[in-house]
Amino acid sequence: MLKVQNVTTYIGRTKIVKRASFDIDAGNIVGLIGPNGAGKTTIMKTILGLTKFDGSIQINHQPVTENQHAALNSVGALIEHPAIYPFLSGRQNLALYSHDHQDMARLIAKLGMTDYIQQKAKGYSLGMKQKLGIAIALLNHPQLVILDEPMNGLDVEATIGIRKLIKQYADRGTAFLISSHILSELQKVMTHVVLINHGQIIVNQSFEEFEQLHHRDYKLLTEDEVLTAQVLQQRTIHYIQEGNTFRVKRADIFDIQDALYQQQIHLKELAPIETNFEQVVVTILEQQRRADHEA
Amino acid sequence: MRFSLYQEFYKLMHQKMVWVSPLVLLGLMVTTGLTIGYNESKLLMTTCYDAPDWIILILAVVGATFFSMEFQNNAILTLIYKSANKRAVYFSKYIVILGYNILLHVIAMAFTFVLWMTPLSRPVSWSMLYLYHQPLWENMLKTSAIDVLTTTFIISLIFLLSCLINSNAIVISVSLLMIFVGQFISASLLNGNKAVHILRWNPFNLTNLTRQYYNYATYVDTSHLSNVQLLCSTASYIVIFVTAGYLIFRKKRF
Repeated sequence: MLKVQNVTTYIGRTKIVKRASFDIDAGNIVGLIGPNGAGKTTIMKTILGLTKFDGSIQINHQPVTENQHAALNSVGALIEHPAIYPFLSGRQNLALYSHDHQDMARLIAKLGMTDYIQQKAKGYSLGMKQKLGIAIALLNHPQLVILDEPMNGLDVEATIGIRKLIKQYADRGTAFLISSHILSELQKVMTHVVLINHGQIIVNQSFEEFEQLHHRDYKLLTEDEVLTAQVLQQRTIHYIQEGNTFRVKRADIFDIQDALYQQQIHLKELAPIETNFEQVVVTILEQQRRADHEA
Repeated sequence: MRFSLYQEFYKLMHQKMVWVSPLVLLGLMVTTGLTIGYNESKLLMTTCYDAPDWIILILAVVGATFFSMEFQNNAILTLIYKSANKRAVYFSKYIVILGYNILLHVIAMAFTFVLWMTPLSRPVSWSMLYLYHQPLWENMLKTSAIDVLTTTFIISLIFLLSCLINSNAIVISVSLLMIFVGQFISASLLNGNKAVHILRWNPFNLTNLTRQYYNYATYVDTSHLSNVQLLCSTASYIVIFVTAGYLIFRKKRF
């Protein structure tokens, strides 16, 4: 669906995005995450042909450049702020971009905008404008939707509604590229993670892989904690004892099981320890900062 | 391009200012009729009750707002990525404003016919010969057509300024300054009697085009250009301003 290959974007002479490469397939929901100024919005703008860049971007095998937007016919986006004309009503703002009025009416109903859609947009609250911006992005059955901070200004009910809508569209094959600072929210919908820092993509994998790789610690509970500690020490397996349980590394779990079996110690529990997604991201970024500093 | 044109037309037609402007124009034309006097019917009919001066003011405001609203409403990114390219965005806006410019001139001529039937000025036949030994109706048509060129020149300048400056208030101010003070700046430059053959081609001089057409004797000494020369240089400056504006818009970072 979307192929980003070795994309480098400059602002003046400064490289904002450095040789970024990633793909998005139909139905994928890719979370684009990273600290402020990492280059998230610039990547999104580059995909939308809004900036000059080196490298190649293709949507359905059609190239996108700064002056070639034909491939973007099947793309919807909400970048930075919703594009809303205050002198038009919500419905007129949608009609300005809509090619399918039935689809537009469905979106209005799904997003719960029916009550105020006829009013002039100048009187809209931040949340109402945000919903309208998302509706504009979802118009005309897009194959790819790019959303920059879509949950900005939305209340809990609206946030849940948008999350459901994103999943519905993804189930029908629409691909999403979403950036958000609210990682807990993103975590609930995304199927893939792209982590960017200083313009470089440092993580690009499925969310499942990401979770497996970064949830490295396991909790171990056996019938005999003293003997278990001795076995682990004999085998020089690193562990942290927390009460009657042990915190062990994921890489060691097979060795541990073999050793316990040989000593006829029965396992009561061996399970991955849930790690907060936000904490994992912060840890990865800190590790990268440290590595950059040492280099 | 067709969808971009539709979008620009849709936005223009939904702005209150666009619909109020013809009424303002009518009010100003009536005021001109009342102030210039009962016996100046021929001049009033030729100039559509001084509509060129009022249309240029309306276009300065509408034109500047039409471009800068995209920046002020954060709509420029959506507009560009949904269009075939930046050229489609820029020129569809230009073409729609050009259409509005022509429409305002047609409305001014229609209002002139209506006002001609009122006791606002002395009754004069449309077939009466006046400027350039041509009937009044022809004078009016030609003055309006020439004024379309003058106002297009101002629109081109406004588009160029709008690509350089995002604030419509500044663009409107600079454009109005050009309209009102341009003629005096040009006159001051030319009154120095130095390098007149070069300085007479300055863009400020071109704001004299319409006035010189209906008042040749007075303005030819100020502009130092014949009607044809003024016409050709206005057309050339339109091409220069539109091209420069487009190139700046293309290079602009959003």
